[in-house]
Amino acid sequence: MSKLYLYGITRPREVPERLREQKIFLVEADERAAVVSELEEGPVEATRRNLLAHADVVEQLHEDAVVLPARFGYVLESQEGALELVALPEIEHLLELHEGTCELTLRGKYEESVLAEVGARLQPLRDAYRVSPSVDAGIALGEAVGEALAARRAYDQSLVLDALGPLALDVVVGDPASELAAFDLALLVERGAVESVEKQVEELVSRLSPPLHFRLVGPLPPYSFVRLAMPAVA
Amino acid sequence: MQRESSAGYLTRAPRSSGLADVLEILLDRGLVIDAYVRVSLVGIELLTVDLRVVIASVDTYLRFAEAVNRLDLRQDDSQSVPDLFEKGGEEMAQTKTKGAVEGGMDAIKEKIGLGGRGGDDDEEDDDKERSGRGSRSRGNNR
Repeated sequence: MSKLYLYGITRPREVPERLREQKIFLVEADERAAVVSELEEGPVEATRRNLLAHADVVEQLHEDAVVLPARFGYVLESQEGALELVALPEIEHLLELHEGTCELTLRGKYEESVLAEVGARLQPLRDAYRVSPSVDAGIALGEAVGEALAARRAYDQSLVLDALGPLALDVVVGDPASELAAFDLALLVERGAVESVEKQVEELVSRLSPPLHFRLVGPLPPYSFVRLAMPAVA
Repeated sequence: MQRESSAGYLTRAPRSSGLADVLEILLDRGLVIDAYVRVSLVGIELLTVDLRVVIASVDTYLRFAEAVNRLDLRQDDSQSVPDLFEKGGEEMAQTKTKGAVEGGMDAIKEKIGLGGRGGDDDEEDDDKERSGRGSRSRGNNR
């Protein structure tokens, strides 16, 4: 019997044709269903194509109803594993919790001109580096710029959180993923609140850009808000 | 799929559309079931990328210093700063990322019948966004 690759968990319903064509199907029990496809052999590699395929499946299903997206890479030995999974009370709890929610991710990134802004108060170090562009002087200046940028990042992130926090049910704050990254936020919101968030983000853009560039993605399944409580030690 | 608005400072995408969008949400987030489905879980062998970037490196400091210096000298030359950015930092980030991420991606093997959105057309934009990742193998999570 084939192994099953797990995309996520949803409520029983008809699988859209586009996904059926890709051999995606549901393993159902009661009011819960694991979203899977057969897998001849593993392991599943975290390639770009595979990651996007996984996201595509859960995001397409999420357009119509609640989906708890699985972390990438889970393969179940058999249908029994899928049934074992959907039978968990914690799963039912999460499905109920996310019945009308979605995730919006908002990332901010600075254009390089921010360095001139934050470096404006570092005249002595800049002069020193210009007069004698040694590695030591460069590190001293760069370190000071890095500190000033970190402060700027913290400040801008707090402005964004102040503006969007009241619209969200929950927020996960990620780490900046590159030197000029400003913030990386996942917002859990009611599906009906997406438009309000968009308006707030546009308002933030008018206040903070340039040098900030924003990327708003969603409504997505609640990727960042599906943590299961650890099971009690037997 | 995507649209630019607010004078180009806001990119709006209704769905994940590139590697940068999905890396963290699928590898670091999402439902974790290891502790629940003990017996029937097949081992996971992931070729993953380390999402955390070393921000406080000497390399970074020297680049910052050089950039501040350059931006300062050109502060009257207002039209050229964004152009410099495009051709400087981004290019560097892209080059570094290629080594880490696409090196792994070269090893794509269509081992599983995952449904695909297909196409590599949106790859460039995403790869630019993160830099300095190291590649490493993460074994079974259990």
